Amino acid sequence: MADLRAALGPDRARAEPLELALYQRDAGVDRGQAAAVCFPGTVDQLAAAVGIAAWHDRPFVARGSGTGLAGGATPVGDPLVIVTTGLNRIVEVDADERVAWVEPGVLNLDLSRAVHHLGLHYAPDPSSQQACTIGGNVATNAGGPHCLAAGVTAAHVLAVEVVLADGSVAMLGGLEPDAPGYDLRGCFVGSEGTMGVSGRIAVRLTPNPPAVRTLLLDFSTIEAAAATVSGIIAAGIVPAALEMMDAEITRAVEDFVGAGYPRDAAAVLLVELDGLPAGVEAQVEAVRRVGHEHGARTVRVAADDAERALLWKGRKSAFGAIARIAPDYYLHDAVVPRTKLVDVLRQVYAIAAEYDLTMMNVFHAGDGNLHPLIVFDQRTPGVWERVHAAGDAILRACVDAGGVLSGEHGIGLEKRDAMPLVFTPDDLDAQARLRDAFDPSGRANPEKILPSGSRCGELQRVPAGAWI
Amino acid sequence: MSLLSVLTLDENELVACVACGLCLPHCPTYRVTGLEAASPRGRIAAMQAVQFGDAPLDATFERYMEECVQCRGCEAACPSSVPFGHLMEGARGVLHEQRRSERRWRRRLAEWLGYRLVLPRHRLLLALTWLLLVAQRLHLVPRRLGLPRLSVRSLARRLRVPAGDAPDAYLFTGCVMDAWQRDTHRAAIRVMAATGARPGLPRGGADCCGALHVHAGREEEARRLARRVIAALPGTAPVVVDSAGCAAAMKDYGRLLDTDEARTFATRVRDFSEWLARQPPPAVRADGGRVVVQDPCHLRHVQHADGAVREVLGRAYELAETDDDGLCCGAGGAYNALQPALATQIRDRKVEAIRRAAGDGRPRVASANPGCAMHLAAAGLDVRHPADLLAEALE
Ligand SMILES: Cc1cc2nc3c(=O)[nH]c(=O)nc-3n(C[C@H](O)[C@H](O)[C@H](O)COP(=O)(O)OP(=O)(O)OC[C@H]3O[C@@H](n4cnc5c(N)ncnc54)[C@H](O)[C@@H]3O)c2cc1C
Ligand code: SF4
Ligand code: SF4
Repeated sequence: MADLRAALGPDRARAEPLELALYQRDAGVDRGQAAAVCFPGTVDQLAAAVGIAAWHDRPFVARGSGTGLAGGATPVGDPLVIVTTGLNRIVEVDADERVAWVEPGVLNLDLSRAVHHLGLHYAPDPSSQQACTIGGNVATNAGGPHCLAAGVTAAHVLAVEVVLADGSVAMLGGLEPDAPGYDLRGCFVGSEGTMGVSGRIAVRLTPNPPAVRTLLLDFSTIEAAAATVSGIIAAGIVPAALEMMDAEITRAVEDFVGAGYPRDAAAVLLVELDGLPAGVEAQVEAVRRVGHEHGARTVRVAADDAERALLWKGRKSAFGAIARIAPDYYLHDAVVPRTKLVDVLRQVYAIAAEYDLTMMNVFHAGDGNLHPLIVFDQRTPGVWERVHAAGDAILRACVDAGGVLSGEHGIGLEKRDAMPLVFTPDDLDAQARLRDAFDPSGRANPEKILPSGSRCGELQRVPAGAWI
Repeated sequence: MSLLSVLTLDENELVACVACGLCLPHCPTYRVTGLEAASPRGRIAAMQAVQFGDAPLDATFERYMEECVQCRGCEAACPSSVPFGHLMEGARGVLHEQRRSERRWRRRLAEWLGYRLVLPRHRLLLALTWLLLVAQRLHLVPRRLGLPRLSVRSLARRLRVPAGDAPDAYLFTGCVMDAWQRDTHRAAIRVMAATGARPGLPRGGADCCGALHVHAGREEEARRLARRVIAALPGTAPVVVDSAGCAAAMKDYGRLLDTDEARTFATRVRDFSEWLARQPPPAVRADGGRVVVQDPCHLRHVQHADGAVREVLGRAYELAETDDDGLCCGAGGAYNALQPALATQIRDRKVEAIRRAAGDGRPRVASANPGCAMHLAAAGLDVRHPADLLAEALE
């Protein structure tokens, strides 16, 4: 503590019990305990903090906004928690090259807003985009509704300045399109803080589309909605976003935003199309047709930006809004082949019924990324066991259908022990060795991602284009 | 320090937070500090820790609670509808009871003077205002306090409404606003009359709505004031309020007093713009120029009357919006006096957003709450109440 206070300033390091209690968890369910927490205000201070942890041979965990859903920022092994929210400057924007250098604590939506007047935005838009940091996005390789067409975070990060576990600083990647040598930047993206802490990050900015249309389709069966998804893709349309919500979640969301989501629908699809005005109009008609063919009850096209914003606000509040039903939730993040979607969904609902749990689904239908949510109240005796058992059963069902564990939220602590479901011991070993190359000491966010026994890895196994 | 002290907040409200963090960017204190302890999620986690016995109710906890502006931006942003305002008022109430004896005597004296002696006695407040006026003329009141220039004429003249029987709508006059910004009440009365309605004033006793007391956890005193306010505004006519903080508190009288009379009264309360938007539009000149709209938190997050302000002001002015999602300005009742450092940082952010929205030139700002107006004026902005702006634009 004394070293931290000396290096960062007295207010930038704390260890009071109540203060530490606030850093026990992220938005997931697992809790840990930190030894101390610090708030660097510059990248130099960030490096100093990591260096001090190295000097005292203490683990450290980077934390952005703590919106992670997999326990990635949960402190394990009495670590120093390093909070990046004070590193929130947009360092430089090059509108011609469409590149921005940002500090890791810049909020995703703040960046898009700051470059809006240049006709640009930062494309990956996790539903938590108003709150999560770019550093956290890079660490979890975050995706979002608009990553269907635009690609996940990895496709938008050009270079990362990384503070390695010993406190030294390395620059991975670069602005030139095809840098020679190994793509270490690619390794780092998605490493969930296990390979070091990112300092300044160079991200690609994307031009705002000239025309955007958002459609809301509503169905009386989930199957019809899923068939429409396949139909849209089969018609050769690549929507900017294609999202599905089931009945329960639609009602919960509508209670919050009042956007006119139909309360009696079995499922709704939110489809966004963008491009040149004429092309977009043609696609709107095509989606409308496909929807009606598959039994959509209504197809609503948002009339203006305000209505669009309200519809998206609903979708992006989905996770938060479920607390209207029960105070705790357990969220999965699995990707299954789109063709198996209906099948897996049926199984998932059956599993919930079997364990007597309330289950809801909200997901990126476009690429088969499911988010089955089990909602419950921790205070109910015995509920945890049922939730965990149902969770395992769901993961198994997804993997059996040829899916993967994590579309976008990462593995963290929560899904760590499920890694052997999809990876062979050799795979895990290779990942552990990759991580060791970055952090031989094993102090960077220990016990995350890889189950004990295999040690540490990276997440490039996630299929391209997958996010939550 | 007493380790036996406990919080007794509504447990269901307390566990409703799923820690998603979506409220964080809407919290002014988190925005300027980046600290979990200065965020809604962190404050709730601290309440949970104390209530469930994992941490003591100590000075650290008290500091976390007191740094909250009680703007309720988090409540509006929370998809789980965690009733943050209520939780915070509860926590403050317990702190008020349990930690009173540990506060320094100067603070206790100041609280007693403010909450118990002056605010409930409007005549005393007016008398003190005369003293303040003299002090202001002698340049003894620092400009940075943002006190509007008090005027002898304004203070000496009573408010006037047309004589006659029961009014169509009351204008609630309140405490500080009537003492320091009575001209805004005059403007409100003119605009109300211009719609063809007959405005009326409360009878004696409506000295103060009690909003500041509720925020400070002094519910018992707030209840006493609320009963007097209700008694001073008989009948069924709408009660128009030109201070957003007061209107929000008066709309909550039903919960505060838990009587049918209070619940009925609460349904009569309207923010000035909210009421005006439902009346026949008075004739105004539509060339008033550009105005940046600042949403007082208790107007936007609590009353959801931000649309009404835009509707009525838009008839006479070209409106400009800030790009900060209506983030709080840091005034927060007595907050700017109690937490000056944080309040100033929060205000700096707001002032930047206002300047961005205004483009070039000195921006004119519309704010429907006297506290916000004073706080922003202290930063050198030209801040006007929508009633003032509209009265100026009347044909
Ligand atoms: C309501 C809600 C909706 C969400 N929707 C989506 C979604 O649509 N798509 C999606 O992908 N995710 C989503 N998430 C998950 C989460 O928002 C993302 O994982 C996000 O990227 C986390 O950012 P953060 O700043 O909160 O990071 P944190 O939660 O603080 O940290 C996440 C991980 O990143 C590491 N980390 C943080 N900063 C750094 C750094 N500077 N250097 C190295 N490591 C770092 C941490 O150690 C941790 O392992 C959602 C979460 C919520 C609550
Ligand atoms: S208060 Fe609401 S928005 Fe904030 S973390 Fe809790 S549930 Fe999420
Ligand atoms: S009331 Fe305002 S200051 Fe307090 S936690 Fe909520 S958003 Fe932050």
